[in-house]
This record gives sequence, C-alpha cells and structure tokens, in this order.
Amino acid sequence: MGFEFQFGVMWEALPELLKGAQLTIGIAFVGLLIGFFLGAAAGLAKTSRITILRRIAILYIETIRGTPIMVQVMFIYFGLPLLLGMRVDPFFAATSSIAINAGAYIAEIVRGAIESIENGQTEAGRSIGLTHMQNLLYVVWPQAFRRMLPPLGNQFIISVKDTALFVVIGIGELTRTGQEIIAVNFRAFEVWLAVGLVYLAITLTLSKLLSIAEKRMELT
Amino acid sequence: MTASKPILADNLKQDRNPADHSESSTKARPATPATEVIVKIRNVYKYFGDLEVIKGVDLDVSVGEVVVIIGASGSGKSTLLRCINKLEDVTSGELVFDGLDLNDTKVDVNYVRTEVGMVFQHFNLFPHMTVLENVTLGPRKVRNIPAPEASKLGRELLEKVGLSDKADTYPGKLSGGQKQRVAIARSLALSPKVMLFDEPTSALDPELVGEVLMVMKQLAIEGMTMIVVTHEMGFAKEVADRVIFIDKGLIEEQGSPQQIFENPQSQRTRDFLSKVKTF
Repeated sequence: MGFEFQFGVMWEALPELLKGAQLTIGIAFVGLLIGFFLGAAAGLAKTSRITILRRIAILYIETIRGTPIMVQVMFIYFGLPLLLGMRVDPFFAATSSIAINAGAYIAEIVRGAIESIENGQTEAGRSIGLTHMQNLLYVVWPQAFRRMLPPLGNQFIISVKDTALFVVIGIGELTRTGQEIIAVNFRAFEVWLAVGLVYLAITLTLSKLLSIAEKRMELT
Repeated sequence: MTASKPILADNLKQDRNPADHSESSTKARPATPATEVIVKIRNVYKYFGDLEVIKGVDLDVSVGEVVVIIGASGSGKSTLLRCINKLEDVTSGELVFDGLDLNDTKVDVNYVRTEVGMVFQHFNLFPHMTVLENVTLGPRKVRNIPAPEASKLGRELLEKVGLSDKADTYPGKLSGGQKQRVAIARSLALSPKVMLFDEPTSALDPELVGEVLMVMKQLAIEGMTMIVVTHEMGFAKEVADRVIFIDKGLIEEQGSPQQIFENPQSQRTRDFLSKVKTF
C-alpha cells in the first residue's frame, strides 16, 4: 500500500481544528441553551391541561422529530432567505437548527420526567395550599430535573455531534475545518483521526461535567 | 396571597374551642355534640366513570369532633375524605366547609386546602427538601411568612411531634413513623381548622404505628377537629367521638365507639367487625 502514518500532520492541523472546535462548541452551547428553554416550554405545554397548548407542543415535537436536521438547517439557511428577502447568518442558521431540533427531543425528556413524579407529590403540595404553578416550581420541577439529567446529557452529546452536519451550509466548524485542511494536504487518514479525537475530547468533557452535576444533585 | 381574599376576613381560629371539647370528649356524651358544624356533607355522590363510589352520603362534623371512618377497602371512605379538600370533586350533592360551598367555583380551592390539613397513607413528603423545609414550605410560600419566622414555627412543630433533632435531615433517612410525624407537622404548619387522615398508619411497620397514633391522640386532646380513615380499631375506640362505618359507598351505621364496637345494630357492621382484629 505504501501508506505511512504521519503524526506530524495531525499536530500541524491541530491549531486550525481547535479554531473549528471553538465554533462547534459555540454553536452547540448557544443552541442547547435556547433548546433547553424551548424544550422545557414545549414539555410543560404537553403536560398542560389546556388543549391548545398541548396541541401546539405535539405539532412542534412531531414535525421536528420527523424531519432530518440536515433538511431543517438547509431550510433555514437556503429556504428562509427567499421568504424573508434577506440573507440568513450561518451561525444563526446553525444555532437555531440545534435549538429547534434539540428542543423537540428535550420536550419529551421534560414531559417524561414530570410525568414520572408520583401523583402523591402533587397531592401533598396542593394539600398545603400551593397553587398549580407553585407546586410545579417547588415540588415537581426540582425532582423532575434530577431525573432529566441523564437523558439530557445524552441529547447534549447528540447535538454536539449533529453540528458536524452543518458542513452543508459552509460554516467553519470542526468538520468543515477538517475538510478544508484535507483539500490542501490530502492526508485524510490523519486529519479525520484528529477531527474524531477533538470531538471525543469535547463529548467526554461534557460527559464528565454532567456526571459531576448528577452527583451534586443526588439526594443525601 | 390568600390573605387578601374576603373569605379570610372572618375570624381565623376563633371558632375553635378546646375547653368545650375536653369536656365533650368524655365517652359518655352524645354522638353528635350540639356545637358548630364545620364540615357538612349532604347527599354526596361520587362516580369514577361508571363506577359509583359514594352513593349519597350525609355527614356533619362539628368543631373539635374526632370522627373515625372505618370500612372495607374500596368502600369509598378514602374518596369521601379526598372530596373534603377537593382532591376529588363530588359528582353531585352538597359539601360545605366552614360555610363555604365547595361546589361554588368562586370559592378559592387553595384557601380551603390551607384550612383542611391532609395526611396521606404514603406520607408524600418532598424528598428533595429537608424535614424543616418540608414543614415550612406552606408557611413560606402560601402564607408568605418570612423564612426565619417560618423556621421558628417549623421547629416548634417538629418538637411537638418529637422530631426536633431531625430538622436538617432528608426524608429518605427517616423511618416510616418519623416520616408520617413530619407529614403531620407539615399539615399543622398552616394551622388548619380540620385535619384529614387517610389511613395514616396503614403503610407502617407494626412497631411504628404507636408513635403516629400518639401524635394524633395528642392533637385530639388539644381539640383539633379530625376526620380519620383508619383500620386501627383501638385508636377508634379510644379517641373517636363518633365512629362511622361505611359500606359500599353508604354510611351503614354510626355512633359512639361503644355503640359501634359493643352493640352494632347492622349485620354488615357486625360482619365487618368480626373480620378485623378489634383491640
């Protein structure tokens, strides 16, 4: 074959890749932050007694879960400008895709966690005169949030990796950066290996942070 | 927040009269004392879908009275209790608490619930809060009492139920009996006019039943109006002013503990009592 592994290539690519990684982290962080609030709102709406709220939440969740994130981002980046008559910023397209996409999955995580809290907790809260909102805020949510953490961690990691799909809109995140380096040096093996390792570093750090958070929230 | 509601304008605790009760709690008095009625139930029906659980119950509970409801599982006794603090809505009939018609949508349910304490079979303590936080949640969030004051009240109540050393413990570390005593303190923290107990000792190991019954007995002595659903016949005999036997969604028989336990009139009451260990 004559293939010779060149470690130096990985090393040389690293500064560029880290720059791309910064953008990947930026997109994931902002997207997930917004996505969490979106998901919490949609999840709560789905448990609501108000039919119209429930319906809106279901429509949102089913539409987003039922279509590929790649289609979603291309729709936002290439499709929306035709409607709006203005260019859509790629960072905006990327973060909003993550937010909307992760939000739909997080909504189900939130709903599941809230519905898993025993009815007796709500009955006890209501029995001491808490309103529906107070009961949610002080009794149900804090307990549900602990149960959300493991599946949330899962979703966060999935979303970080989903940002790789945004090569299709040409934003210079980690995967795109890797492609660009290879276009110059043709060292696909070393560069993709390096790209993979950088993703792994990001997701493992995230994993670790989440397990620390879980430990901290454990009931003593 | 409820403080601004007009229904609170009428005196809060003045209609309580422990002195009256201590006199009336001697076993010789009539089953229904001629005092002020605080819970009035008239011709109440409750359906769950097609299932008829309560089939026309009438019941008056007077201030300071201890009413013990007995009956087989599924007889509707817990459901009746849960209707009194609106955890369930009655299907039809009249339910009046302290002059407030509970079927009237203008009546503030949350206010009623602060005045009607509820103790559950499975305690339902909030596991993410310390014992003290459990007890003070109501005062802090519902009554808007400042935290230090609420803490003081909470510690007093924990002392009352014999758990002052557990204030900063989480419920997960407590025994069942301790949990139930915390739950009683949590209810008392809102100074309710009536306390409802829904099989408060049924989930407890036998050796832990006594400590909970003790706290309940103390409350009865202090003049608390109590409606207790229980299988503890000993408690019923000793503490109840009136025992009510519910069978298939109807009050089959009621009277003083002596009448019910020593001289039951109805065959169904006799059958039930013969199946449960009385004392």
